[in-house]
Amino acid sequence: MELSKERLLKLYKDMQLIRKFEEVVQVYSANGTIPGFVHLSTGEEGAHAGILDCLKKTDYKFPDHRSHGVYCLCGTDPKYVMAELFGKTTGINQGRGGSMHVSDLDCRNMGFNGIQGSTMVTCLGTAFASVYKKTDDVTAVFFGDGTLGEGNCHESMNMAATWHLPIIYCLINNQYAISTHYTESHPQKKLKTWADGYEVTNYECDGNDVEAVVEVMEKAVAQCREGNGPVLVEFNTYRWQGHFAGDPAAYRPEEEVQYWLDRDPVKITKNVLINREGVAPEELDKIDAELDESVAEMLKFSLESPDPTLDFATKYTYADREVEAR
Amino acid sequence: MRKLTYAKAINEALIQTMEQDERVFILGEDVAKMGGDFGITQGIWHRWPDRAKDTALSEQALIGLSCGAALCGLKPVPEIMFADFLGVCFDQIVNNAAKLNYMFQGKAHCGITIRTPQGGGIRCAYHHSANVESWFANVPGLIICCPTTPYEAKGMLISAIKSDNPVLFLEHKGLYNVKGEVPEEMYEIPLCKAEIEREGTDITIVATQIMLAKAHKAAEELAKEGVSVEVIDLRTVAPYDKETIKNSVAKTGRLVLAQEGVKNLGWAAEVSAMVNEELFEYLKAPIKRSTSLDSPVPFAPGLEDYVAPQYDHLLAMCREVMEF
Repeated sequence: MELSKERLLKLYKDMQLIRKFEEVVQVYSANGTIPGFVHLSTGEEGAHAGILDCLKKTDYKFPDHRSHGVYCLCGTDPKYVMAELFGKTTGINQGRGGSMHVSDLDCRNMGFNGIQGSTMVTCLGTAFASVYKKTDDVTAVFFGDGTLGEGNCHESMNMAATWHLPIIYCLINNQYAISTHYTESHPQKKLKTWADGYEVTNYECDGNDVEAVVEVMEKAVAQCREGNGPVLVEFNTYRWQGHFAGDPAAYRPEEEVQYWLDRDPVKITKNVLINREGVAPEELDKIDAELDESVAEMLKFSLESPDPTLDFATKYTYADREVEAR
Repeated sequence: MRKLTYAKAINEALIQTMEQDERVFILGEDVAKMGGDFGITQGIWHRWPDRAKDTALSEQALIGLSCGAALCGLKPVPEIMFADFLGVCFDQIVNNAAKLNYMFQGKAHCGITIRTPQGGGIRCAYHHSANVESWFANVPGLIICCPTTPYEAKGMLISAIKSDNPVLFLEHKGLYNVKGEVPEEMYEIPLCKAEIEREGTDITIVATQIMLAKAHKAAEELAKEGVSVEVIDLRTVAPYDKETIKNSVAKTGRLVLAQEGVKNLGWAAEVSAMVNEELFEYLKAPIKRSTSLDSPVPFAPGLEDYVAPQYDHLLAMCREVMEF
């Protein structure tokens, strides 16, 4: 599918935002300023940007653990996402969630659970609510090839298929569950065929080609909005980094890594914009420079923001009662 | 006042809540057409076919769906057929439901009420008889209710469904056919509050569910001997009502905890630790517990009764604290 120049430029900007955001996160995770560990989504920008571009603000989104860019593209101001990663009070979740638990009800980012496969069943509820309330909002759940090993994937798809719930199962196949290649832990040659057993429509696409992502997502979203869900889409892609920032990923063959580096989703789109759409390279350089500046501002905001106040540590454990003091 | 069984009182609470609030729906295995394995949800599907869903045997999906729907403002009341099956969806309860209020910081709520029957006495061995409240009492964010009378069952269930907290509503299989007075209108019994059912001055017994009848029987027996027993129905196991227990023990100086579940790290252990920490100077005797033995629940009736806490043991514990 050939997208318009305008849409492709927007997608290029989205992908570059993720790329540059993650580059900063990688540095500040490595130097210890960002507490804990982070899972970088570098290399998966095509799938992430393309999927989000096909959803509206009121659609429900369930990111996975490798979703910094997804959080930003759901609609949360990226500076509040970055501040959350730094554990600051200005973070979108006031520093209580961190890298894996960014949620924002205003743009229906429903958050990630931290336990693989959990959102596979939580997403049934938002889809059920759309049907119950008779709205056309769909639910998109992000999950990886590794997550497919979890038992609740079966419960989820079985129920969603039986009740025709409007869920798009976005299978981000980045080939590895930490060190285990999906072919070592799953019998299917193509993971998407898992959905065949539930008579669920399933597609696959090159997750590094944002135009291919949009093409297949638009079909999937339309089918769900019409009440003919669920749909599964497998996006074939690769994480450039290890499982977490700092994992040297020695379990991956060098030639495989190089193959995917050569298929950089940002570069693929850049080439299409220049060669097919006639965009001047300087125009893209300008976008890049603006993003550099914007990410630098996010970083400054995050670094300068105060830590959360301690009285907030236990708030909202219950809806209507405080936790007993020590 | 009219009398209803505990089972019927729960059914009435569900129906009245669904009449009043269209956000409320039920789902579970055989809850719709059949009306539930124990008949608790009868008469709902016929009135509201879109608000009563029979599901596959998928406990994780049941609870996960409920969490997601609650975040969208609905009020799901999933049924898990036996409390023992909560093990299958333990993760969804402790890592999802219990943490969503915290995660969304009051902007969305996980107001789900998980109904499930627990407890022994039906001769169904170790996968259909457990008392599970202590499996979950260690998890912040959950409210764990153990109603005993039909009056409590109706009033606490209405409060649970109205609550914006995830509530584990543990019904007792052995109480389903017990009758008691139940008002016809809707009413709420506050959660996290205990009830003093009998006032006394010498011993405090704190009990839940089937242990309460034993506690009252012991109180009657001891009254004949001139010993005055205060009986407290804990009602909510977590977070529990410290103040009512403390006020009582400050008065009596003796505490016996009657818990049907196994002894090791049950709710009685927590209450005992709290009283030791906060009321040590009031205690006239060591705190005693009457609980199950620390084993699975066996099948043969004689074996099950041996493992479960019996009246005689509870009475003996009361005598021990008096004689100390």
